[in-house]
Amino acid sequence: MTQSQSQSQGPLAGLFDRYPALAGTFDEMFDGTTPRVAFARIAALLDKMRPDEFARAQALAETALLQQGVTFSVYGDSRGTEKIFPFCLLPRMIATDDFRRIERGLQQRLRALGAFLDDIYGEQKILTAGVVPAEMILGAAGYRPMLRGIKPPGGVRIHISGVDLIRDPAGTWRVLEDNLRTPSGVSYVVENRLISKRMFPRLFDAARVHRVDHYPTRLAETLRSVSPVSGDDAYTVVLTPGPYNSAYFEHSFLARTMGLELVQAPDLFVDGDKVYCRTTRGPRRVDMIYRRTDEAFLDPEVFRPDSVLGVPGLMRAYAAGNVALANAPGNGVADDKAVYPFVPDMIEFYLSEEPILEQVATYVCLFDEDRKYVLEHLHEMVVKAVDEAGGYGMLMGPQSTADERDEFRRRIEAEPRRYIAQHRIELSSCPTWIADRGAIEPRRVDLRPYILTSREGPWVLPGGLTRVALTRGSYVVNSSQGGGSKDTWVMKESV
Amino acid sequence: MISRVADHCFWFGRYIERAEATSRMLASTVSLALDAELPAAQVWRPIVVVSGEEERFCQRFGADDDDHAAWGDGEIVQRFMVWDEDNGTSLLRSVIGARWNARSIREVLSLEAWEAVNELHLWIRADLAQAAYTNHRDAFYHQARRGTQLTLGLLRSTMLHDEPLDFIWLGVLLERVSQTARMLDVHHHAFTHLTRRHAGDEIVETALWLSLLRGLSGSEAYLKRAAGRVSSEGVAKFLVSEPAFPRSIAYCVHSAYDRLCGIRPPDRHELPGGVTLEQLRVLDRWVAARSSEPLAGAAVHDLVTHVVDEVHEICGTLGKELLGAG
Repeated sequence: MTQSQSQSQGPLAGLFDRYPALAGTFDEMFDGTTPRVAFARIAALLDKMRPDEFARAQALAETALLQQGVTFSVYGDSRGTEKIFPFCLLPRMIATDDFRRIERGLQQRLRALGAFLDDIYGEQKILTAGVVPAEMILGAAGYRPMLRGIKPPGGVRIHISGVDLIRDPAGTWRVLEDNLRTPSGVSYVVENRLISKRMFPRLFDAARVHRVDHYPTRLAETLRSVSPVSGDDAYTVVLTPGPYNSAYFEHSFLARTMGLELVQAPDLFVDGDKVYCRTTRGPRRVDMIYRRTDEAFLDPEVFRPDSVLGVPGLMRAYAAGNVALANAPGNGVADDKAVYPFVPDMIEFYLSEEPILEQVATYVCLFDEDRKYVLEHLHEMVVKAVDEAGGYGMLMGPQSTADERDEFRRRIEAEPRRYIAQHRIELSSCPTWIADRGAIEPRRVDLRPYILTSREGPWVLPGGLTRVALTRGSYVVNSSQGGGSKDTWVMKESV
Repeated sequence: MISRVADHCFWFGRYIERAEATSRMLASTVSLALDAELPAAQVWRPIVVVSGEEERFCQRFGADDDDHAAWGDGEIVQRFMVWDEDNGTSLLRSVIGARWNARSIREVLSLEAWEAVNELHLWIRADLAQAAYTNHRDAFYHQARRGTQLTLGLLRSTMLHDEPLDFIWLGVLLERVSQTARMLDVHHHAFTHLTRRHAGDEIVETALWLSLLRGLSGSEAYLKRAAGRVSSEGVAKFLVSEPAFPRSIAYCVHSAYDRLCGIRPPDRHELPGGVTLEQLRVLDRWVAARSSEPLAGAAVHDLVTHVVDEVHEICGTLGKELLGAG
């Protein structure tokens, strides 16, 4: 047994001194007062640091992020204020075996979801077979009947996805949500890693962590693999709603790290069902668009007519096979929160496999029996609107007031299709630096791994965005509501 | 290259150059004011006139007649030229403009150049810059200038020397032409109309011309060319025609033409940009022809006015032909 392992057996004195485990949650790093075996060595190294040393490194990291402009725009602020995404320098670690299972589970899930979308925009066999109720799918806000029969270039629809995972008190990983349209956050995965390497070089070296900085290269390969024009001739652009969008940093980051041009809607126009970019040398034909504009704003001819972020005629060009879009439009039907409960059935239906990853038991308010149960148990349930994201349109039953519950009762009865409910899952916690207390405390976390799907199938980035609810007692990890992030260290196999 | 991106590049170049010019001009004027033995208004008013913001200044400070105290109040003029958010030429506005344009083309700039302009922006918006401005004015201007110069240097040393950099530099050069032209015009006018009062006036005049040169980073270069002789016509000729001085009108116009030739080669008639190219070529030839003519009195004003008007015209055509402005 090495020295560091023997040190880590007993209670630690140092950075984690007085670390209070959070009752009733699974702690990512500690089992009681003892570090988990897989992380014992790293925990011992971290523990040698004094809180004031850590505070200094944390402050340096935040300054570096600000100076590099790793920021997001705050909506509704006329002075164009930008903030850094709150970041905790203490990494969240994931053991080798855990991630291997996650990886296989996500690949399986993405294959099934891809097959589901092909089917829904094709023969709709799954509806005929009665595996998923047809009214549920055809009534989903994300279902686009106009796309039926259109095969996307390269046969891929979910090029980029981010699947939110949580861990219950038993330590079981569960899928909470699929994001199959324009998931964001991957730039923070890469930037957070750069910062941890700069601040903790020796620790990082000792930890043996999977790299994440090749994500942009893999993304560029993924896009190339499905481009309608082969090889180097393809003109690929990244489409952003513009600098006022809260994820603009990421759009610009991805364009820069892939060496592609970042365009806004007014830069593009459609002529004869072909897409062109306005350049200093006249119009240039565009073959592939990695679009970060919401589908609803993509083409005012088809979707929202008031959209100024769109390119009129883009969907015509797409339907004609003259331009590839990543992600394909129409994916919203598969990451609808009311469709989520059926993903395990899809896995069995399309792949004849047992689902590898668990999910969270979900009540679909459209079904009479489920709705009855939800309305009777509102005070203990988390109710979510199926078409909202970012932690909005939610009722956190256990923390809610009677008025809020009445409000949601009315909404559910008025529009049952719009709501689902789940029992509140006690998210796992992770040691987190709390600056104003100058100490490490447990805070709840989730994990968003990123999956790229090319012609050859899904690939999972060995890492992901760990989001952390920085407010004490909070369950909401979204950055729009006081959430922050951590670097996620997926451990390499021990040698 | 995308026209909108080219537009941001061009304006990024203009703003960063304007920020540098403003901080240098103010620093050299602070120094001049200390021992110029001139009425304060003759030192400070030209700063506002050069910026083209005379009218706003009048309204803001009620300075509707030439004797109003605000014209000679260095603190008022400096605050107006550094911090005023309504003054489109203030240092703060220039830095904000540079940073905003840079952020809009973040993927086009190199990481290091971006960080330099971002840090300049963070600095000027923070208490540190306010404190420096209050406690150590010269250090404040020095720091502002360093930030812009670092950005300009990193652009050249860390970016691909192709179209985006050509557009940035086109912005820098055209901004610089106007800056040099207006500085020369205003100061030439003010200095040559000084009332001669006593025998020491020649010394004062020399100090004024050297101050103008310092405001354009040109005093050492000029003295090398002129072997130490400072004269009104010598300085004017130097700032207009010296081909090796990177802030002379001739140098800037010629370099701008070169840059545009890189963007839109003269033989590629099928590409947009032909009208702008021709306008710049004509202006370049016109400025070059002036080097053999005497330059004194009203000739300076006429020459400089022509240059400023032409550059204004060229920027308009450039916008329409290449930067997507209709």
